[in-house]
Amino acid sequence: MAGETAADFTPILYMLGFGLLASVPVLILSRLISPRRRYNPVKFLPMECGQMPTGEGRSHFMMQYYAYILMFVVFDVMSIFLYAWGTALFSIPRVATLPIIGFLGIMFAAMGYALYLAGRKGIW
Amino acid sequence: MATYPQNFRFGEFVGSLIWLILWILIIVTLVGLPLIFIVLFYIPLPPIGNQVLTPYLFLTMMVDPSRTIPIIHQLMTTDLFRVAMFPGFTYAALIAAVTIFVERKFLAKMQLRIGPLYAGKIEGIFQLIADGLKLIAKEIIVPSGADKPMFWAAPIMFVSTAAAVVALIPAAPGYVVADTDVGLLAVFAILGFFPLIALLFAWASNSKYPFIGGLRALHQMIAFEIPFILSALSVVILSGTLNLTGIVDSQIQSYWFIFFLPISAFVFYISSLAELERIPFDLPEAESEIVAGWLTETSGMIYGLLQLGSYVKTYALAALFVVLFLGGWAGPMVFPPQIQTPIINIAPLYDQQAANATLWFTLKTFGVIMLMLLPRGISPRIRIDILLHTGWYKLIVLAFINIFVALALIYGGILGPGGLLVR
Repeated sequence: MAGETAADFTPILYMLGFGLLASVPVLILSRLISPRRRYNPVKFLPMECGQMPTGEGRSHFMMQYYAYILMFVVFDVMSIFLYAWGTALFSIPRVATLPIIGFLGIMFAAMGYALYLAGRKGIW
Repeated sequence: MATYPQNFRFGEFVGSLIWLILWILIIVTLVGLPLIFIVLFYIPLPPIGNQVLTPYLFLTMMVDPSRTIPIIHQLMTTDLFRVAMFPGFTYAALIAAVTIFVERKFLAKMQLRIGPLYAGKIEGIFQLIADGLKLIAKEIIVPSGADKPMFWAAPIMFVSTAAAVVALIPAAPGYVVADTDVGLLAVFAILGFFPLIALLFAWASNSKYPFIGGLRALHQMIAFEIPFILSALSVVILSGTLNLTGIVDSQIQSYWFIFFLPISAFVFYISSLAELERIPFDLPEAESEIVAGWLTETSGMIYGLLQLGSYVKTYALAALFVVLFLGGWAGPMVFPPQIQTPIINIAPLYDQQAANATLWFTLKTFGVIMLMLLPRGISPRIRIDILLHTGWYKLIVLAFINIFVALALIYGGILGPGGLLVR
């Protein structure tokens, strides 16, 4: 497998730039030909189903998701480690799969315990 | 409401159009052509065939259709063609446009409705153009207190990020914008930007419903990211590479991976539905609960661009499904080795392999897109706790079952280098 340089990824940036080139003129054109009436301040209020909006738009609220976020951080890293192992599977000896199975076992035990606690306490 | 002026005469209207065309012709001749010439003198032109291309030769070739063919042939090998036309933006946007129309008609037929009917003579075929004109002519309302730069930038970022995902998908052998060794990981990396853009837009709107919708988008993406990545891992184990072209090649050498990994394909399909925020996982835009979710404050072309971006993303994920599980462009050869066209001989542009590959890839991608549209007609929206439960408890376990199936296939000597089923 040949080495990879950062220059191999520049076509993605070209594509990103082409997306910009395709979408910015549309917004400018829309701005040019669409009507712009500014006489009614109520029009620019945030949508609240026809009522006058109350309170802050960007409020704080409890989302009860913190533990899931923690699990996500752990298991996202785990899955990328598994990718490193899966790509090299043809070129490593078969014995090298055993530590990976052990690693999976540890992660799954931890995850199962976390989900069990979550189900028992009913906090999320 | 638009009204005609009192002294409107059709003849004068046609006359003004003719004057306009005349002025355009004069300006093109006096300004446009010299400008093209000046530009052509300063950019390096490639050699065509066995002659060096000069601006004079270029212009003579442009007016003769049969001599334009070598120029087009040269253009088709450049990065610009790949980015702008075939595996890139235009192809994806075209498929997205067809998807929008087909979705409306298809869902209508499923629910015994008619669907769009009036624009265009046949079955409302121009509905999309009518919708686009309507959207571009509508006023864009930025809510008071909104973060204006972010509000304007988010739709543009959404479309260009969707385009960047398309850049990594190979549509035919050799036709891929960015052929990187870690293509699959790059796809996952770019897909991770979408909930961030949704959350940024929701925060910039300074409104309650978009904010709730943006947070829901984030939750949903986090719950389904891990099954999404793990379901593709079994494909990587079977093919031994992360390069998407390499994955397709290894399927051509054996069999389509969906026969070995049906559970992975199912998990991938469900998680891509969640990633696309489509019904039954459209909680971020649940219109009966939170108005329109994170799209509540959008209007006019901002809404249009976000829709375009989400349909380009639909194409990208359907194409990724085809590449990972359905053998990419593999299919029986249906095109003749040579073609004859009566007036202009386009034989140098014709490539049997690429034409066949494009046909099968497009057909398969459309099949998967239809499969992704199907739940919208038949399924209700699910509750958010069921969604999280599905993502965390069931799909991850299902994905792991197929990882062990893939391992057994490799170590049992059935697939992999020198396996039984490898041709």
